[in-house]
Amino acid sequence: MTDMIKKTGISRRNLLKTGAAAVAGAAVGSGAITGFPTIWAQNPITLRQFGTGVSNLNAIAEKCKEDLGITLEMTATDSDAAAQRAVTQPDSYDIADIEYWILKKVFPTGVIQPMEISKLKYYDKIVPLFKTGKLTPDSVIAQGTAPHTVGFVEAKDSKEFAKGETEYFTMVPTIYNADTLGIRPDLVGREITTWADIMDPAFKGKTSILNIPSIGIMDAAMIMEAMGNITYADKGNMTTEEIDKTIDFLIKAKQDGQFRAFWKSFDESVNLMASGEVVIQSMWSPAVAAVRSKGIACKYQPLKEGYRSWGGGLGLAAHLEGAQLDAAYEYINWYTSGWVGGYLNRQGYYSAAMDTAKEYMSEDEWGYWIEGKPAQGEIKAPDGTVMEKAGAVRDGGSFLERMGHVACWNSVMDEDRYMVRRWNEFIAS
Amino acid sequence: MNNLLSRATPYLQATPLLVILGFFLALPILLLLVVSFWDYDFAGMYPGFMTFNYAETLGSWVTWKTYGNTLKFAAIVWAITAFIGFWVAYFLAFHVRKASTQTVLFLVCTVPFLTSNIIRMISWIPVLGRNGLVNSALVGAGIVDQPVEWLLYSDFAVILAMVHLYTLFMVTPIFNTMMRIDKSLVEAARDGGASDWQIIWNVILPLAKPGIAIGSIFVVTLVMADFSTVQVMSGGQSASVALMMRNQMSLLQYPAAAANAVVLLVVVLSMVAGILRIVDIRKEL
Amino acid sequence: MGQEKRSPGFYILAAFFVLFVLFLYGPLSAIFILSFQGPQGGLTFPLNGVSVRWFQNLFEQQAVGDFGASFSRSLTLGLMVMAATVVVSLLAGLAFRRRFFGATPLFYLTVASLVVPSIIVSLGIGVLFQQLGLRPAWFSSAYGAHMTWTLPFGVLIMFAVFNRFSPSYEEAARDLGANSWQTFRHVVLPMIAPSLIGVGLFGFSLSYDEFARTLMTSGSSNTLPLEIYGMTTNVTTPVLYALGTVTTVFSFLIILLTVGIIYFIGQRRSRS
Repeated sequence: MTDMIKKTGISRRNLLKTGAAAVAGAAVGSGAITGFPTIWAQNPITLRQFGTGVSNLNAIAEKCKEDLGITLEMTATDSDAAAQRAVTQPDSYDIADIEYWILKKVFPTGVIQPMEISKLKYYDKIVPLFKTGKLTPDSVIAQGTAPHTVGFVEAKDSKEFAKGETEYFTMVPTIYNADTLGIRPDLVGREITTWADIMDPAFKGKTSILNIPSIGIMDAAMIMEAMGNITYADKGNMTTEEIDKTIDFLIKAKQDGQFRAFWKSFDESVNLMASGEVVIQSMWSPAVAAVRSKGIACKYQPLKEGYRSWGGGLGLAAHLEGAQLDAAYEYINWYTSGWVGGYLNRQGYYSAAMDTAKEYMSEDEWGYWIEGKPAQGEIKAPDGTVMEKAGAVRDGGSFLERMGHVACWNSVMDEDRYMVRRWNEFIAS
Repeated sequence: MNNLLSRATPYLQATPLLVILGFFLALPILLLLVVSFWDYDFAGMYPGFMTFNYAETLGSWVTWKTYGNTLKFAAIVWAITAFIGFWVAYFLAFHVRKASTQTVLFLVCTVPFLTSNIIRMISWIPVLGRNGLVNSALVGAGIVDQPVEWLLYSDFAVILAMVHLYTLFMVTPIFNTMMRIDKSLVEAARDGGASDWQIIWNVILPLAKPGIAIGSIFVVTLVMADFSTVQVMSGGQSASVALMMRNQMSLLQYPAAAANAVVLLVVVLSMVAGILRIVDIRKEL
Repeated sequence: MGQEKRSPGFYILAAFFVLFVLFLYGPLSAIFILSFQGPQGGLTFPLNGVSVRWFQNLFEQQAVGDFGASFSRSLTLGLMVMAATVVVSLLAGLAFRRRFFGATPLFYLTVASLVVPSIIVSLGIGVLFQQLGLRPAWFSSAYGAHMTWTLPFGVLIMFAVFNRFSPSYEEAARDLGANSWQTFRHVVLPMIAPSLIGVGLFGFSLSYDEFARTLMTSGSSNTLPLEIYGMTTNVTTPVLYALGTVTTVFSFLIILLTVGIIYFIGQRRSRS
């Protein structure tokens, strides 16, 4: 067992393909992987990680302790606080779990040290989306702060992002997904096909978008373009005129009473939907699942314009060195080695290293979550509750269908100073 | 020697307060003041001396409108809490006879305040929502056909939640001052033939003024600096000054947020100075 | 105000008081009911069955966060803040009874402490610690941050307390030959003891609840309010309401204990 995994480190590609089934069979859930050096057991090391509750899961810390002997202290905050803490208190964490759009602002402050790709065991397993911006060789690169645009730097001490792949990775992508409109099929009462549908007067007072400026503006951009009001040169980097047009449109919609509320946390989006306050809103796939798990009909509705996507990753704090830095690399290699990937996939997010995650998922799970096939048996959440019954098909279809139709990423724009000012006007109006 | 010690006493007594506030408040405010003059763009902050952040803050209608909105909340919440606070404290202090009953009733008021603010706030949502308790009751009783929409995610919801969260801050100081009012004054007024109203108006109210002033300072400052109640209860549809700052901070635009904070500090300090001008709470110490 | 009969005003005020208490407890009752939500139930009405599932869940591991550790941090911090608030406010209250140089600026600094938006204080202290090379932690930077919040309350309440505190008691004690410590210990302290307990309770609950001021100052570990907030960034369950219910019950117990202590002090005082 140990040898096998060690070898996979050297010639992963072949071995993973042939030996995947065997490894998966033996390793799933058993915690049997001991392929990582166990030096940490003798030399106790603690890594402090913070980020949103989306990925700062206790199960991961537990499994990490079991497999590596590294104690992972996880602190969950909201995405705002995560960004602030990353920048203002670099000593308070070892691993930062933040989103790519904010990385564009966090990285230049020098609090995150780039990783040497040569030390990343599973670098070539990471989906190309994070390296070239293309999921498949013929995909179109989406607009906005796409992860690959902030994924690399030229040198270890460089503060500027590189244009293409280099030897230095700013963050290892861990979790990402594509957002779209979530609907209550029982209350909407018609086909929803486009982002523009959220502005339908029929849903007046029953809609919602995100209340985080960098993300909400992208929701608005998708809506604006779908309604044919404007064509942006680059949604993810609007000019001041484009920002003006978008915000003016939002202000008008708000004053007409189109929105019921704006949501900021995962929880709010779930409650808005579950309580029937809102029937159509911009939403995450796992939030839709959470509504559905309460026995309430809710659909993650694919739209013709495509998705608004987001991604997060793990970055190494600048102060890490010596044994701690080694442990951090060890942890990141473990993170991408499959167990975590499988765990995240099973929650409805996507893992960045899909091939390794596959080994830790049953064929049925892989088929349902990733390939968009009908479930053969019951699909269970990591805690054992039944999420979907046999025969269910995931909304939005397969991984390729979803992530292949990303229209834009959450963004930090060059004009973000102006954008926030106008966003405040929108909220104040 | 003794005289010297006695003169040094207030300084020694005030030192802990000064040290704590000096380090944890004055220094950070100083830092803030410095940063508010810095320049920034999407990638970082640049030390310098720019008045631009202030020009931008003060020159924008959003700022004025947001201040207007926040002041509106402050005024309404102040009026309601002062009304409730005065009568509740008056009831406890002058109508409840036994000291132990007074204490118990007062503590009954404080219990909800020991439950987390966040939980207390979100607990209004299932009460006020479209399918919440109030609407179910109203629709069920046939009073309205359609659920009342403005109960939640509205200014009404914000004010209701703020009153709920902050009333104790008014009740406590008023109750405290009222308890110190010499009962013989009230007796004397009664013997002199004063009616209940006259006693309240001419004896109790003037003597309770310092408590009302302190409670007002609490409530006004709490409302002026609030962001989470406004955010959650208005469903993000209403603005407050602190919320505006938070939006700037969320994109790491610290200089702008700092300038905003300085302006807010000046505004609220002047409001407090105004309250103190009407009632000098230190006069009778 | 005679001892013999109640005026009609009493009944109106009593009714008002009852309404006020109902208003305070109303939404808490929603929490109370929802904390018995069935295993499949969510955070909103309607109830989806009835169970004590969420109370059990409170003691199990959550998907995100850790109630136990963050609660014990909040509790410890609350007690630390309570002790410091009582002592410092009392001293400051005594100081302000006399005129001293710098009293007015210090007073305004205290008020400013209330006024400065908490997120800004939080950020400022966080940055300050970072710049000084100190490590922010819940027991250092957050401790200070909480005191910028509780001290103005404590000091202002002490103002209200000393406001009508007649110096004649102290003069009488001094005339009887008590030194200033004895005067303080045997005359002033017993008279203001209930208010000090009040300041302590205030200090504790303000700290226990404080969110924004802890956000940037708690270092690597969360206090309870931060933990709850962090949890809402993932799927949350009625376990939050169970927590609310438990907290309220817990608060009732603390209050009972306090009443007991006040009663005990009263007994002792009447005996001596």
